[in-house]
Amino acid sequence: MEENKSRIILEDYKNDFIYKKNKSNLNINFNRIAFIFFIFFLISSIYIIHLIHLGSRKNSNLEKNLSNIFGKELYRADIVDRNGRYLAKSVSSIDIGINPVEIIDQKKLLVNLKLIFPNKNFNEIEKLIKKNKFFWLEKKISEDNYDRIMKLGDKSIKPEEKITRLYPQKNLFSHIIGQIDDGNIGISGLEKSLDKKLKEINEPIKLTVDEDIQYLIRKELIKFNNIFNANGSAAILMNVNNGEILSLVSLPDFDLNQRQKIEDVNFINRATKGVYELGSVFKTFTLAAALNEKIVQPETEFLDLEKSIRCGGNTISEYDLKIPSNLTAEEILVRSGNIGSVRIGQMLGLEKFIEYMNKFDLLNQMNFDIEEMGVPLKLRWGKCKLATASFGHGITTTPIQLAKAYSIVSNGGYEIHPTLIKKDKTEIKKRILDQEVSSKINNILRKIVTTKEGTASLANVDGYEVGGKTGTAQKIINGNYSNKKINTFASIFPISNPKFTLVVMLDEPKTNKDYIYTYRDGSGKYKGTPFNTAGWTSVEIVGQIIDKIGPILATKYIEVE
Amino acid sequence: MRKFWLLFIIFSLIISTTVIKNSTKKFEDEIFSTEESLRVLNLNYNDVLLEHNYLSSSERLLEFQSLYFDNELTQKNINEIKILIKKDNKILIKDLETDK
Repeated sequence: MEENKSRIILEDYKNDFIYKKNKSNLNINFNRIAFIFFIFFLISSIYIIHLIHLGSRKNSNLEKNLSNIFGKELYRADIVDRNGRYLAKSVSSIDIGINPVEIIDQKKLLVNLKLIFPNKNFNEIEKLIKKNKFFWLEKKISEDNYDRIMKLGDKSIKPEEKITRLYPQKNLFSHIIGQIDDGNIGISGLEKSLDKKLKEINEPIKLTVDEDIQYLIRKELIKFNNIFNANGSAAILMNVNNGEILSLVSLPDFDLNQRQKIEDVNFINRATKGVYELGSVFKTFTLAAALNEKIVQPETEFLDLEKSIRCGGNTISEYDLKIPSNLTAEEILVRSGNIGSVRIGQMLGLEKFIEYMNKFDLLNQMNFDIEEMGVPLKLRWGKCKLATASFGHGITTTPIQLAKAYSIVSNGGYEIHPTLIKKDKTEIKKRILDQEVSSKINNILRKIVTTKEGTASLANVDGYEVGGKTGTAQKIINGNYSNKKINTFASIFPISNPKFTLVVMLDEPKTNKDYIYTYRDGSGKYKGTPFNTAGWTSVEIVGQIIDKIGPILATKYIEVE
Repeated sequence: MRKFWLLFIIFSLIISTTVIKNSTKKFEDEIFSTEESLRVLNLNYNDVLLEHNYLSSSERLLEFQSLYFDNELTQKNINEIKILIKKDNKILIKDLETDK
């Protein structure tokens, strides 16, 4: 019986297929039901899939929503310091304009606007409406007023969302952060070099700098910039082991919120863009290279050193004529002997000297996170250039490259890459100097600060084991050496296990007859700057800075078990 | 009987489709409103954080210090700073070793 029935249905289907409906037939066509079933099954499946998708999807990033609200052109990610404090922040603001052509009921609109903006001059607004041209009613409107004004529902009211870049630290990070123009395009600093990333990334960019440290260093630098009446100055604090820059200050600086067009060259970033002859700080590299090549040892004696020598028609002489004629390699660096350094350089040879200067990344433009980088002057190498470069004369570089080179020398000889942007990964380090060489140099740098013969006793801050090398150089103006100075001190601390390098450079400092120095060994005070040298200027600044930031560095970054 | 079951399945499919569609809509609304409130909260948080950053910046703290306190800040020698370690309900005092 069932078989017969099936057969009949098949016939019906045939009829259906040729669109001949059998109205009298109450039997439901099986295929039609299957089709309806399939449709409902399909719809249900779509919704089930949708439901599963809704349930399983991850929380979309809120910052992404933010970028959608502003639109891609307006979005710019925030910049924070290593502790998550804002250095640059984008804040939305809404401007309200009125297009008089689209006003529905002028009287009603004006009454409502008076309620929202009771302090506005509505005679002026009426005049503007009569002109029949678009005008801005209120800029940077508050959220409450925005809600109220939009609830009026008048077509003539035109809101326009804008982005305002705030720099809560004002001048503090001006050379690092840089500026943007009105079109949300970075024009200097990280705002320029990270322009694309800042517009794409959905989370704040974390820097390596520390706001508190930067504040304290800048405060001291401003103070001493005034005391020594310098044209400008720069300070860099870097972690010697990973190249992270905790502070980078260049004076004079500027308030980023003012959006000034900076054209005065005195406002350049002296720490990265300024190319200077930094003087005796280079002697450390000459000795480090010679030690690494095993040409000399710290105790190697140099006998009968002249007080001056001639090379290519120029005279190379000692700064301190009282310097002994017989010195060890170590004493040459401690007493900052020019002729002794020339002799070490000559023993090393031109090729090796250039090779090491390149390894320390001192001779060419350094790759860095900001584009404002100085290019060291190209040198025409020869016998005399080797002689002068050995003690830091006639060779130029930037303070940040100096900080990098001192980090390499002190950290065990490993190459590091200075950075302003916090990275999660640690790079595999390439070795440039032997550990032993690094330790020997560190010991000598410490003696420069602790011994009577050294030039940096004012930086001997109790408890921080400061080591370092001074450099006093004549400034080149229009291609000629002038009487103006560049005073630099490159310091490392704590020397028994180096963690930080702090470089301070003063551009054209002058002596101050009223400044009172307090000797670090407790032997008393001294009034007035006796000599315009790094030992009496930059070293004092480094000492004062370490006094202030030392406790923070020692406690904030310590890992308590 | 078979017709009944077929009709029942179709009917139940209609009902379940309606219910599922309705619940997805409800979920979507909920997700949207939660995301919106999170976005607003996040914006508020950022604004508050910005305000906090400004008010607690080194510059402001030193301003407040000179405004509300007569005494100068005293500089601590590194050797005076110790580390307190709580271990097995005992407090150990350790020197702050700057060389390690």
